[in-house]
Amino acid sequence: MILAIETSCDDTCAAVLDGPRILSNVISSQARAHEGFGGVVPEVAARQHLELTEPVVEAALREAGIGLDEVEAVAATAGPGLIGALLVGISTAKAIAAARRLPLIPVDHLQGHVAANFLEPEPLRPPFLCLIASGGHTLLAGVHEHSGYELLGQTLDDAAGEAFDKSARLLGLGYPGGPAVQREAEGGDPEAFEMPVAMARDPGLDFSFSGLKTALVYLCRDLGPEEVAERRADLAASFQAAVVAQLTAKLKRALKRGEWRAVALGGGVAANRPLREAVARLCEERGVRLKLVPISLCTDNAAMIGSAARFAPRIPYPDYLGYDAFASGEAAAAIPH
Amino acid sequence: MLAESLLGRSPEGRPRHATSLLAEVEKAAAAAGGWSAVDLIAVGLGPGSFTGLRVGIATARGLSVSLGIPATGVGSLDALALGIAEAGAPGMLLAVLDGFRGEVFAALYGADRERIWEPFVCRPEALAARLGELDSPPSVAGSGAVRFRHELARNGVRIADDADPVHRVAARHICALAAAADGGEARPGLAPIYLRPPDAERWRERDPFQSGA
Ligand SMILES: [Zn+2]
Repeated sequence: MILAIETSCDDTCAAVLDGPRILSNVISSQARAHEGFGGVVPEVAARQHLELTEPVVEAALREAGIGLDEVEAVAATAGPGLIGALLVGISTAKAIAAARRLPLIPVDHLQGHVAANFLEPEPLRPPFLCLIASGGHTLLAGVHEHSGYELLGQTLDDAAGEAFDKSARLLGLGYPGGPAVQREAEGGDPEAFEMPVAMARDPGLDFSFSGLKTALVYLCRDLGPEEVAERRADLAASFQAAVVAQLTAKLKRALKRGEWRAVALGGGVAANRPLREAVARLCEERGVRLKLVPISLCTDNAAMIGSAARFAPRIPYPDYLGYDAFASGEAAAAIPH
Repeated sequence: MLAESLLGRSPEGRPRHATSLLAEVEKAAAAAGGWSAVDLIAVGLGPGSFTGLRVGIATARGLSVSLGIPATGVGSLDALALGIAEAGAPGMLLAVLDGFRGEVFAALYGADRERIWEPFVCRPEALAARLGELDSPPSVAGSGAVRFRHELARNGVRIADDADPVHRVAARHICALAAAADGGEARPGLAPIYLRPPDAERWRERDPFQSGA
């Protein structure tokens, strides 16, 4: 059995896996701690992880009904992510493993999102296309094997979830932005405002959301606060439609270019209903299978880290004692002191 | 004391805790005869580098969970003050750590190491001004005393040479305080002593939405 820990962003997670079977998957969300800031504050996240990791690990073991004696390896997200947050998880995992002379399995967070699809029930087999969209990342992965993926495209600026957070903030909606925008958009007309579908004519598979964000800033400025308040639902619906349109356009292009049998979605944005519906339509059109894991496995969780760990190299004791976490490019500058 | 080691900083200045701490802890445990010979894990709670504190506390917690050995925390300034007292310094003791960003973390203790000023963070000039109000100058040591020697060593305040080991928070002092406090009463938690709120406000300033980028 594998004990897995994930602390790359703002959720403290631990899980126990028996092969592809999830015995427990505990998630302690910090969303409320970051609510007032409209985004994740790295130092706040790191402090919360330190408080939560041990209780979350103990809860995962308890829910799985096992003791550490039955754990054969400890897995943890090594990066990319917020360095201060990652270090809490990786330090805890290293200590738990070292004390019992167990191997450590460092896991790439994005490979974790891909590997959520290898979990029971109905594990998906490569090859498939995986669209991962969250507050921290937006990328298109070509999955040919269980142990890695080919990066087909990624965002050149903001992540899709970040775009939702920022638009939610601009429209005076809550945090996290994705669910807030979706809720507001339900009563709105997605064609009320014309939003740029960025990168639509770009022949590559990369994404860009900053132009969309800027367009919304100017639109709100032109409308003025009263009209923004009045037409909030239409604005939310139009913005959401533009994000979904870009994500599906790239997915469609990738499907045309390769021999893919299935499409999978991962990341918090995969919980967005209009996106799920649009991708389902696209898959039907193209005659490929759509794999949708439960939302609890789309958002950050440790079961997906344990799943990726099954196919990742194990570092034997004591070779990992000096193992370090790695930050994402942006977060590397956020190391306190 | 059975074993002790010291962690330095990497050339880039990033604390080496993440890459060095666990190996050193394992060495110390091995020197003591293995984990079965250890009955309490003690960790410095700070103040100090946020990342360093968290690596230390997360490591202590992980070991504690894995081994079933209790873990306890000790204030780093308290441990530093014990070192100053053991070095034979007379009078009151002022423990001063480098607080980064041009500030210091400090706490003042009486000759019997009872806390007079609870740990706080301030500019070295402000600390010097506070020291000026004391009846007699204390013995001062710590990384903050070394760094801000010029600001602090006035009005009779004594600070040992930079290379003196009295300036370092020693793991053996953390152990000694933990063992002394471990008298069956409820152990102190493992909550870090940050002394500073998170950088949320700075972060807010960097937000492209706020700066209009
Ligand atoms: Zn993620």
